[in-house]
Amino acid sequence: MNNYIKKHLFIYLILGGVFSAVAQESSQMFQAVGSPVNPKVVISWNKYYDYEGHVAIARNLEKAYPDLVKVQVIGKTAQGRDLILMAITDYKSGGNPDRKPGMYIDGNIHSNEIQGSEFASYTAWYLAESFSNNAYIKELLHDKIFYIVPSINPDGRDNFLQKPNNANSPRSGMIAVDNDRDGATNEDGFDDLDGNGHITMMRRKNINGRFKLDATDPRRMIQVGPDEQGEYEMLGYEGIDNDLDGQVNEDGEGFYDPNRDWAWNWQPNYIQGGAYKYPFSIPENRAVADFVLKHPNIAAAQSYHNNGGMILRGPGAAEDEGTYNREDVRVYDALGKKGEELIPGYKYLVVYKDLYSVFGGELDWFYGSRGIYTFSNELWNSFQYFSKADTDPQTTSYNFDKYLLFKDAFVDWKPFKHPQYGDIEIGGFKKTFGRTHPGFLLEADAHRNMAFTFYHAYHTPKLSVDEIEVKDLGNGLKEVTATIANKRLMPTHASQDLKYHIEVPDVISLTGGKVLAGMILQNKDLNIAKEQKINPAAIKVDNIEGLNSVMVRWIVQGGSKFEVKVDSKKGGIVERSN
Amino acid sequence: MNKFYILLISCLIGSQIASAQDYSNYATLVSRAQLLKKKYPSLVKVKSLTKTLGGKDIWMLTIGTGNVAEKPATAVVGGVEGAHLLGVELAIGFAEKLLAQSATDSIKNLLNQQTYYVFPNMSPDATEQYFAKLKYARSGNAKLTDDDRDGAFNEDAFEDLNGDGKITMMRVEDPTGEWITSLDDERVLIKADLTKGQKGKYLVLTEGIDNDKDGKFNEDGEGGVAFNKNMSYNYPNFVAGSGEHMVSELENRALLDFLFEAFNVYSVITFGPQNNLSTPVTFSKPGISKRVISSWYEEDVKVNDLVSKTYNKIVKAKNAPASKATEGNFADWAYFHYGRFSFSTPGWWLPETKPDTAKKQKAFIDKNEEISYLRWAEKENILGTFTPWKVVVHPDFPDSKVEIGGIDPFVLLNPPYKLVEKLVAEHTNFLIAISKMAPIVEPINIKTEKLPGGLTRISLDIVNNGAFATQTKVGEKSNWVKNIQVKLETSGKVLSGRANQTVGAITSYGKESLTWLISGSGKATITIASPSNGQKTVSVNL
Repeated sequence: MNNYIKKHLFIYLILGGVFSAVAQESSQMFQAVGSPVNPKVVISWNKYYDYEGHVAIARNLEKAYPDLVKVQVIGKTAQGRDLILMAITDYKSGGNPDRKPGMYIDGNIHSNEIQGSEFASYTAWYLAESFSNNAYIKELLHDKIFYIVPSINPDGRDNFLQKPNNANSPRSGMIAVDNDRDGATNEDGFDDLDGNGHITMMRRKNINGRFKLDATDPRRMIQVGPDEQGEYEMLGYEGIDNDLDGQVNEDGEGFYDPNRDWAWNWQPNYIQGGAYKYPFSIPENRAVADFVLKHPNIAAAQSYHNNGGMILRGPGAAEDEGTYNREDVRVYDALGKKGEELIPGYKYLVVYKDLYSVFGGELDWFYGSRGIYTFSNELWNSFQYFSKADTDPQTTSYNFDKYLLFKDAFVDWKPFKHPQYGDIEIGGFKKTFGRTHPGFLLEADAHRNMAFTFYHAYHTPKLSVDEIEVKDLGNGLKEVTATIANKRLMPTHASQDLKYHIEVPDVISLTGGKVLAGMILQNKDLNIAKEQKINPAAIKVDNIEGLNSVMVRWIVQGGSKFEVKVDSKKGGIVERSN
Repeated sequence: MNKFYILLISCLIGSQIASAQDYSNYATLVSRAQLLKKKYPSLVKVKSLTKTLGGKDIWMLTIGTGNVAEKPATAVVGGVEGAHLLGVELAIGFAEKLLAQSATDSIKNLLNQQTYYVFPNMSPDATEQYFAKLKYARSGNAKLTDDDRDGAFNEDAFEDLNGDGKITMMRVEDPTGEWITSLDDERVLIKADLTKGQKGKYLVLTEGIDNDKDGKFNEDGEGGVAFNKNMSYNYPNFVAGSGEHMVSELENRALLDFLFEAFNVYSVITFGPQNNLSTPVTFSKPGISKRVISSWYEEDVKVNDLVSKTYNKIVKAKNAPASKATEGNFADWAYFHYGRFSFSTPGWWLPETKPDTAKKQKAFIDKNEEISYLRWAEKENILGTFTPWKVVVHPDFPDSKVEIGGIDPFVLLNPPYKLVEKLVAEHTNFLIAISKMAPIVEPINIKTEKLPGGLTRISLDIVNNGAFATQTKVGEKSNWVKNIQVKLETSGKVLSGRANQTVGAITSYGKESLTWLISGSGKATITIASPSNGQKTVSVNL
């Protein structure tokens, strides 16, 4: 089947789900708890979709749930695709949608790390399909807005899926780069010698080689012992020396790393491998950054990578250790540890300490430059093969393929006549094995990771005017005292935000009566207050901490009906009258 | 071109320069650039890289011949700092002066071998403030910014309280003030020095009103992001004028988008506040020992040293003030992030003025630029650049004595216009002089050795004829600096040596030796090429 037919057939199938009768009558189906039983948009979550597939899912959700899902194009990719974002909230209640505390989610920043897109789209689908009959989701979408970018790197996604690749290629986006600095770009990439769409390995029989077949599974190549004669030499990934410079596959797709492009402590490629020209010189990232700058209501963010089963927070670079201070680390810890509980086998870790020390990562810009609590999850790990910690994932992966995938993940070794190496054999794992989920485990892990983002989103600030107390002071004066509480874990301003005044303070304003004085009440019992002399009707409060409250007081002339309004960039808008 | 036309053109240029009385505003700059295109259509191309938010074009002049993109190139950048009008003048002036000599053999030859990309003004939104109804030193472009991060935009700008069309200073008599008048020149205010037993008498503020009553004066007026604060090296986050993130501005992005694809650029000359030409940078070993380096590499410092000596020989200005390493600046970026040789000069600074004993002047007690300026201005008979302190009624200080006065904006950075022509001539000569140091590679010692059985061994040295290395030490590691590509095409068969290979950096006057063993007869052609080092071909018979 050629690609054109495949794509159109696929769209037909998806659209078919929306508009025609589903395969089974709803009376034949019974809900498995926690999953939508008869969704309007039917999607099977045990496979991968190319970018057009995810756009179709988004558009179908928008069509099916116009009051919950709105799709916007936030920019163009390097190759000219529309970069889409779904803004998901209850548009009918909870006030101005773009003033609700926001949760940003994206996936697939690295081209080969594809399942983040399925996780992101699953989240969008789940929110829309569960809204009508799940009180928790209803509350979430009343209070919050989700901004979901299924793929932040659509060009790379389609290259990985549609072109011959291995599990690690391409990590880069699709702008051509001259990696070997010879004046030519992408002139010597992989060659799919056996034409099966997967770049596997090349081996050649050679008694002076240092490899042999594994007796327990002859598909596997293992190194011989130091005193042992070998059988094979390994020749790397499928390819030829296309430009005759004596190197094979040295300048393929890309190479730059879209996750070294973000404008917080960005460093050039000679310091930080993978950096492109300057921060946000990658158009997809720039589109996201511009969107985030225009949406100061985004209080939380999540990006999906693979793999390793990690819930990562910054700092990305050791040099940024001081940026993440104690108050914010407490919030991160509370969220991250809950994540470990919700996603068994995943570990909550810090990028620079536990993974590697890198500059220009997405999560550092979100937090360092915008004060947004952000995680990157490295999806999939060997724990999931047999639901236990794995000390020898290589061996386990062969067993898993053998007993659970029935050898579907492996391309058997076959002879090939190589123009430069002569008689060789080609074989190895498919590109969709090792880093990405096998079909039957995809939905379960998507659900768990989604639940973690729900917990994260739930704990963005939720403000409430708890109490308005009015006291008569005589002489026509009244004292109005308001208590403003934050019912969730996150403060309205991360301490990074407070330090640099990234966002403006929360404003608590009073209407009704003539305000003569206004003050922040530091200690109500001892009557200690800090007066705001300028514009006392609108008191500026630097921060409303998580699960905490602030008190403000006004001295007012006249009036008896008072309205208190709180306007917080990351905490939203709430109002209440006495 | 015959002599008559050369004479005519020289006259035209002469008259144009003679007629200019002041720095060029945007419209004049555009016409100067267009005039060059008209006069030298085969040597100049003028292109707009982008339009600023203020609606002004960022112009680029490409000066050269033939395939300009494949010849070693120098980028000449002016207007990196909006208050520094001289920088614009030096950049466009360089283009004018160079082209005026384009009929001479030496410049004709130079323009056949090298390319110049001239960006006369990177801050056109800001420089225009010099020509506006209200004059003040401005660095920021037309981006709407909340400089004090209080949620309001441009809510507290300057006010011309004394109505003289320029923003100077205010002094307010106040017992909590930290300033006093200088003993050297009572017009100038200096900070009181506790160790000298001094107590302050004045508050010193810029001219204006505290419009938003936040206790700060004129902290958020018109003027957005400064080009020279928005670059990615040593970028200052969350500082007024630096933008919301590195390289956020159209001007910065447009220039970088061009430069990163201009692989032929080997050096960048900035006319702006940084100065590594009067005094070269110094090498610091700790500065290169961390992964984020803060010092030039030792080999590159040597090149800077040579270039600096050349500068001081040609541009005879002494006593340059120490260069201030401001954050996010362009000249540092050009070395540390672009990986090219980067040289920068303000082009002019306040000359030292010896006390005039006839006027009973004494040596100064305080080292202060304003005091020095006033003595120099007096000597040079420059009038009207100081506004005498005069009392005004100020709404924010109803009970205090408030006076407005002080030195004009711009005059400490920009000399009187009559000095500009000489500065342009000197800096043009300097640029021509260092162009002769360009790294240009050439094959030498070409040998063919016949072996039995129809074998030929070819060997040659690729030599760098320049005082500049073919790559800076930073460039050696950067994806954005190309290696030299060596390609061998032959009718024979290559037995040893590569048909296609690259050669990395070659040091100043250094070489790289290559050899091939070929069987068969006919010809072998070796092409040695790199965008920033030129292209050469060698043919040998087998």
